[in-house]
Amino acid sequence: MDSEEDMLDAHDMESGEDDFYSGGTDDCNDSDDGEPDYGFVEEDADDSAMIASHRSQKNFCVLREEDIRRHQMDDIERVSVVLSITEVEASILLRHFHWSVGRVHDEWFADEERVRKTVGILESPVVPPSDDSELTCGICFDSYPPEKIPSVSCGHPFCTTCWTGYITTTINDGPGCLMLRCPDPSCLAAVGHDMVDKLASEEKEKYNRYFLRSYIEDNRKMKWCPAPGCDYAIDFVAGSGSYDVSCLCSFSFCWNCTEEAHRPVDCSTVSKWILKNSAESENMNWILANSKPCPRCKRPIEKNQGCMHMTCTPPCKYEFCWLCLGAWMDHGERTGGFYACNRYEVAKQEGQYDETERRREMAKNSLERYTHYYERWASNQTSRQKAMADLQQAQTQNLEKLSDKQCTPESQLKFILEAWLQIIECRRVLKWTYAYGYYLPDHEHAKRQFFEYLQGEAESGLERLHQCVEKDLAQFLNAEGPSKDFNDFRTKLAGLTSVTKNYFENLVKALENGLADVDSHAACSSKSTSSKSTACSSKTRGKGKGSSRTGGSSRNPDDNL
Amino acid sequence: MQASRARLFKEYKEVQREKVADPDIQLVCDDTNIFKWTALIKGPSETPYEGGVFQLAFAVPEPYPLQPPQVRFLTKIFHPNVHFKTGEICLDILKNAWSPAWTLQSVCRAIIALMAHPEPDSPLNCDSGNLLRSGDVRGFNSMARMYTRLAAMPKKG
Repeated sequence: MDSEEDMLDAHDMESGEDDFYSGGTDDCNDSDDGEPDYGFVEEDADDSAMIASHRSQKNFCVLREEDIRRHQMDDIERVSVVLSITEVEASILLRHFHWSVGRVHDEWFADEERVRKTVGILESPVVPPSDDSELTCGICFDSYPPEKIPSVSCGHPFCTTCWTGYITTTINDGPGCLMLRCPDPSCLAAVGHDMVDKLASEEKEKYNRYFLRSYIEDNRKMKWCPAPGCDYAIDFVAGSGSYDVSCLCSFSFCWNCTEEAHRPVDCSTVSKWILKNSAESENMNWILANSKPCPRCKRPIEKNQGCMHMTCTPPCKYEFCWLCLGAWMDHGERTGGFYACNRYEVAKQEGQYDETERRREMAKNSLERYTHYYERWASNQTSRQKAMADLQQAQTQNLEKLSDKQCTPESQLKFILEAWLQIIECRRVLKWTYAYGYYLPDHEHAKRQFFEYLQGEAESGLERLHQCVEKDLAQFLNAEGPSKDFNDFRTKLAGLTSVTKNYFENLVKALENGLADVDSHAACSSKSTSSKSTACSSKTRGKGKGSSRTGGSSRNPDDNL
Repeated sequence: MQASRARLFKEYKEVQREKVADPDIQLVCDDTNIFKWTALIKGPSETPYEGGVFQLAFAVPEPYPLQPPQVRFLTKIFHPNVHFKTGEICLDILKNAWSPAWTLQSVCRAIIALMAHPEPDSPLNCDSGNLLRSGDVRGFNSMARMYTRLAAMPKKG
């Protein structure tokens, strides 16, 4: 556990966000008044103080399964108390409004009756309770005594067996079961988890899982950690600068696109790159050729029958036109009918759709160029994983051994772990620079040249650091007793770590800027490595956001270089 | 299996009893298989299907009524929501809006209602839908009536 937390701390340091984003005053203002409907953000942070305590300044916190359940129960309880409704009703209500307590309150107090109707929490039954000794089930048409006929708020009579069948089938159909309604076609009454608890057997577990998942998946400020096998979720405070978050499982990812953390490359490049990486596989080819992503939830959809009117599967349920992928609502006479969609025809004539086709073609033809970048991207990935394993080993074995050999307390050997963490972070950045390089336009010679120079320097700087921690360390590990060179080694390694850190930070900033100030960088790149990084850093810091604003005008002279 | 059989048997008895009550629908269970049904429905009046008798085929799945029956037209029909070749029907209650409270009888009623009120917004027969969308009600009516005469009426003479 200690090791993980150390690692996270180190990540905090590496990314140096505080420093970097405090410069962007525009951003800070935005974040203050953004997302007003999340009134309970602060309280959430308090709740999980135990987890997030040591990084309370972060814009996210990690939730374990028990934390998620607790948050969910707290929200349900709060709504139930404030609106004086049962907890079952409160959970139906919250799920409907995407688990936003604020929105539930707003909507409810604005128009309780309307909310009750749309959500399906009826105040009085549609079917009045009868005094008959027998009721007929609306599904199997058999007659039963009233106590064998459970019902929800509407009172429509269905027998226990049919209820069970109905609930079980819906649960097996997927997460849409959370929006379960009374089986009567004309009735909107919601079926809550009390009925499921009472009637379902092994499917209950599945339902509860969907219920828990819904709290994360339907919630705009929560996401699951995408690392395989990780059950933690991230609660994110929107509008606060960086999208990079790191989970307790040590996986860092981008909140925006849920791919692994990819600074300095932006999300769209990453998704292009990842699509590209799998484009060679048959699966991807098939998906590309035969499916389109749902315009809202992005799940790939195969159209195997029926009309152009598509309805995505629950919970998305987005309705769109298969041809133009526009909202179905926008279709009608104006677009020239539903199955000869005008927008599509026009766009096709203007070449927009052909463009997509052509791009796919070209991508396949430029396989060789791609392979060059991919190999380097993948080898950095492998190095990074190796470095993570080495860090693990350093933590578990080598550090203790070294501490004994050199008669130095382990606490004073932290610089070695820091070096490893720096290497891991640098490998990550370096990896993504290859995706960056792949998408850097060929005709921007100056930029390309400068980029390749920066990348080369980064490679060799990182190699130096890697070498130092790997090779030089070995001799102290195998030494007989305390060596007097050890202090020099410490100075050297700590120095290399900090130089490399600075260099990569500036590299990230420069690439995020789109290499906007090619000429100013070119000037300082002629100096020696260490002085350059300080010179560059003062420059980028001084310019801050300004450089990207003027980027458009300064681009043209660059091209002429 | 048992539940669906029992339920279908109840529907069968109900149909026998109601036969006279709803003259527009004639539901018949297959002689050997209670999961196969056919229905004869009368084209609703004041529509181009008036006077025609249309045959529907029902294939009832085992989990019925938790899952909807598969229904298609055996009689050729010119209608925006019916596939011209296969007779497949595009009707929400037969797909995602199915509820176990529906019966074969009520499905027939829903199909008759669909014949009277086509949904050209989600067409399975584009030519037919296009006529309605473009406002050519006359063209649509005459096409539909022609196919009703050709396929859904007893040959004269």
